[in-house]
Amino acid sequence: MPRSNGRTRNPLAWLAAVVASAALAAACEGRVGDAKPGFLPPPPPAGAAACGGVEEPGPSPIRRMTRFEYDRTVHDLLGDEARPARGFAPEEQAYGFDNNATALVVSGLLGEQYLAAAEQLAAAADLARLLPCDPVADGELACAARFVKSFGKRAYRRPLDDEQLGSLLEVFRAARADASFEVAIRAVVSAMLQSPYFLYRVELGAPAAAGATTTTLDGWEMASRLSYFLWGTMPDDALFEAAANDELATPAQIEAQARRMLKDPRARAVVADFHDQLFDLPALDTIPKAAPDFDDVIRADLKAETRLFLDDVFWNDGRFEALFTAPWTYVSEPLARFYGVAGAPASGFAKVAVDPERRGGVLTQGSFLAIHARADQSSPIHRGKFVREKLLCQPIPPPPNDVQINAPAVDPETSTRQRFEQHEKDPVCAGCHHLMDPIGFGFEHYDPTGRWRDVDGKTAIDASGRILDSLDANGAFDGALQLQERLRRSGQVRSCVVTQWFRYGYGRGETTVDRCTIAGLDAAFAKAGYDLRELLVALTQTPAFRLRRVDGGAR
Amino acid sequence: MSAPKLSRRNFLRGAGGAALALPLLSYVDVGRTHAGPPAFPKRIVFWYTPDGTVQEAWRPIGTPESFELARIMKPLAPFADQLTILENVDLGVSYAGPGDMHQVGMGALLTGRKLQAGSLFIGAGGQSTGWGDGVSVDQYIASRVGQTTPFPSIELGVQVIGATVWTRMSYRDAAQPVPPESEPTRAFARLFGDLGRPTDPAAAALRTRRKSVLDAVSRDLSRLSGKVSAADRVKLQAHLEVVRDIERRLDLGGGILPAACAKPTAPEASLDTDAIGNFPAIGRLQMDQLVAALACDLTRVASLQWSNAVSTTVFTWLGGKQGHHELSHAGDADAAAQELLTRMNVWYAEQLAYFAGKLRSTPEGSGTMLDHTLIVCVNELSIGNSHSRFDMPFLLLGGGGGAVPGGRWLKYPSGTNHNDLLVSLCHAMGLTDVTTFGDPDYCKGPLPGLLTTG
Repeated sequence: MPRSNGRTRNPLAWLAAVVASAALAAACEGRVGDAKPGFLPPPPPAGAAACGGVEEPGPSPIRRMTRFEYDRTVHDLLGDEARPARGFAPEEQAYGFDNNATALVVSGLLGEQYLAAAEQLAAAADLARLLPCDPVADGELACAARFVKSFGKRAYRRPLDDEQLGSLLEVFRAARADASFEVAIRAVVSAMLQSPYFLYRVELGAPAAAGATTTTLDGWEMASRLSYFLWGTMPDDALFEAAANDELATPAQIEAQARRMLKDPRARAVVADFHDQLFDLPALDTIPKAAPDFDDVIRADLKAETRLFLDDVFWNDGRFEALFTAPWTYVSEPLARFYGVAGAPASGFAKVAVDPERRGGVLTQGSFLAIHARADQSSPIHRGKFVREKLLCQPIPPPPNDVQINAPAVDPETSTRQRFEQHEKDPVCAGCHHLMDPIGFGFEHYDPTGRWRDVDGKTAIDASGRILDSLDANGAFDGALQLQERLRRSGQVRSCVVTQWFRYGYGRGETTVDRCTIAGLDAAFAKAGYDLRELLVALTQTPAFRLRRVDGGAR
Repeated sequence: MSAPKLSRRNFLRGAGGAALALPLLSYVDVGRTHAGPPAFPKRIVFWYTPDGTVQEAWRPIGTPESFELARIMKPLAPFADQLTILENVDLGVSYAGPGDMHQVGMGALLTGRKLQAGSLFIGAGGQSTGWGDGVSVDQYIASRVGQTTPFPSIELGVQVIGATVWTRMSYRDAAQPVPPESEPTRAFARLFGDLGRPTDPAAAALRTRRKSVLDAVSRDLSRLSGKVSAADRVKLQAHLEVVRDIERRLDLGGGILPAACAKPTAPEASLDTDAIGNFPAIGRLQMDQLVAALACDLTRVASLQWSNAVSTTVFTWLGGKQGHHELSHAGDADAAAQELLTRMNVWYAEQLAYFAGKLRSTPEGSGTMLDHTLIVCVNELSIGNSHSRFDMPFLLLGGGGGAVPGGRWLKYPSGTNHNDLLVSLCHAMGLTDVTTFGDPDYCKGPLPGLLTTG
């Protein structure tokens, strides 16, 4: 059940400023800054030569757990099924993802929520399972110490040092003074679940050589990097053991673990979370639509269709291009009626071939088309913006903040395309809009709910479009299928997918020092035939993943 | 100013324990033991609505010497004698620095600063922004006057979506946004979750245990802060302050709730807080809880954020079909759209009238809660379709403990920046040592003529 604080959808910000509910039958007024056609620099060229060859680790800001990670971690740590983090304040978002380390803060509200959750989890903890000793037989303090060490090692994801042990035993003693042994142990659990050693992935690195600017991570830290990257949760016993035996040091060792972990079902939740965020699928729950049959069932099923599709592409096919070319999808019985296609199963979802003239690939699915449309009209701008920003990785600048935009009145007799063509004609608007609208026009055959249409009002659909100002995807196309064909052949799009996984996997936006890392990943992706699972393995092999800068104090 | 213990005196319980109008007769009792009349706590409440207003229906009709309220303010007519309407106060600082027009409005509104140049929120060509670049006025006031109440401040929201620079107006410090709680049941649990009575031995033991746990957490945060990079240290220090705030609340002696303050009824857990149609119901619950929280002196600094910049709220209950932001971009000549926008803002004013009405119906001494409260109405824009941030629709409502005379329409000279208003708000809450707020280049000092003492 989605919750108000939990909606991760970014407000479609300044964008709608230039969309306007009205059509633009006249010019945009006002001063717009330097919005000249072609002013956007294309992304840096891929290839190691262009970057100078040295892959640096880049920054490694401390990473606070997200709600997704918190719930998965407490499940593995304590067997919790209640998923308390769903009620936490939502993550601050950046670069389209909710796990950007620099953006995340612990607000007062979140701090209190951590407290409440920690107490609830501690109260519900199955001590019979967690206590490694018997307080009566072994002595209370000795047993408490053993508990702190064994449970603490899992909670903090590394063996505790003496100061940590002492601090937690102090909690134990203070609680034991006026409560039972059990209550005191639960107080210790509560303290651990609120500790920064639990809530953050603490990385201080292995001791560095004198004068070195980078260092490796120690085994425990690497175990957590791997487990949170590929599983969104704490390390398993195998990872802990590898850490203890210092078997997470070489690239080969790390790769072996990564491959093992990708075969584990826990990886599926992470990939699904990435896709949910990239395609903003939860927005389907709340996006307003005028069509009365766009009900809760359809919303849920459109979400499921794309999730099943993306899962299937990633895990069974694996090829990047299948995102755009797979000639099948998943339908339920309500969706089959909604789309007007055959092959509906009696219940659940079935994989069906799509109409090759109209569908094929994620950008022809109802989820994408409906989310990036308005309540009662398609939106070439939203759809074009998505392609430009999320698939070509070219951010579109917002209008300079001193422009006065006054949209003129609507002419209801025109089609969406006709209305927005004015954007292109007015040089003041065209500077930014040429990046979006010409792409978005390619989707005009799909109405605001994602269904096929041949007319818009009184006008026959014209779905011709073009991509401008990209590195290698420029050109004309007619309709979404031809657009997707351009995208799947584009090195820029492939590099953008790499960049998106970089952002999500490393919890930060790419910086200029990451150029060579991205170039290296592009090369590895190509070498693997653009297999998406191999991309994830490649992400564990970079210096950015295996090393960190020496920028803190000593352990 | 009365001692903190005053807030823990006996409140009268309303019938059924659901009292929201709590006559604070105890203040009168205590007052008799003091030399002068009892001093009631001053409160300040920031009331945010999004996407600008319809100026022609907002600005009063007539002249400042003799005016009547325009359509959008008609619902506030019963409070006309405690209303101060400001004209020509600009969000000047928001025209400098990076960011798009909604980002800068939101980011500057309570901080009086430009956004940080940063790379969190993408805009190419050097336009990327970070968060707001300083403490917001509500958090600043809370840091000074809020240390004696269980919550230094309370932030509530109504369907605030996402956590980005478009949706956060409160900042504890630069790049430390403060999220509002948008879920009424969670707000209730947080505000009125009861540890039991302070005299209850079990509750006392729990409090001690909590403190001991939080001490350990604080130790870890302090220790870890010393080992990490400078940037990470900032985060951990901020986290440490959060933990210390919670500990301080425990130190204030007693559970979360003062001894005899009557809890309001808990909101229905079954309310679908994501359904757009429930926006009014959620707003009502949040307003009720906020009144109760103020009445129980859980805080003296609060904000209620209705949606957020670039609001997607569809006013279905007024026949609306588009999101607020989309609609706000209709041209001036689109009469139907402007009419609907006006009705939407009238609706927001009706909610404000409800909130103010509840404060007014709560007696405090010889006056009411509203006499001792200052509600500050804010918006990140002045005009939605042009994104104008000149002549912002600032409105003050309530007596502010005598700081703000009402019944006035104040026209300031063009070029007046809202930083001056933020200074005045500090003064209104007793912080008269404040001479500037936010970016000093945009601040001359308090707004002349706004407060009683000028």
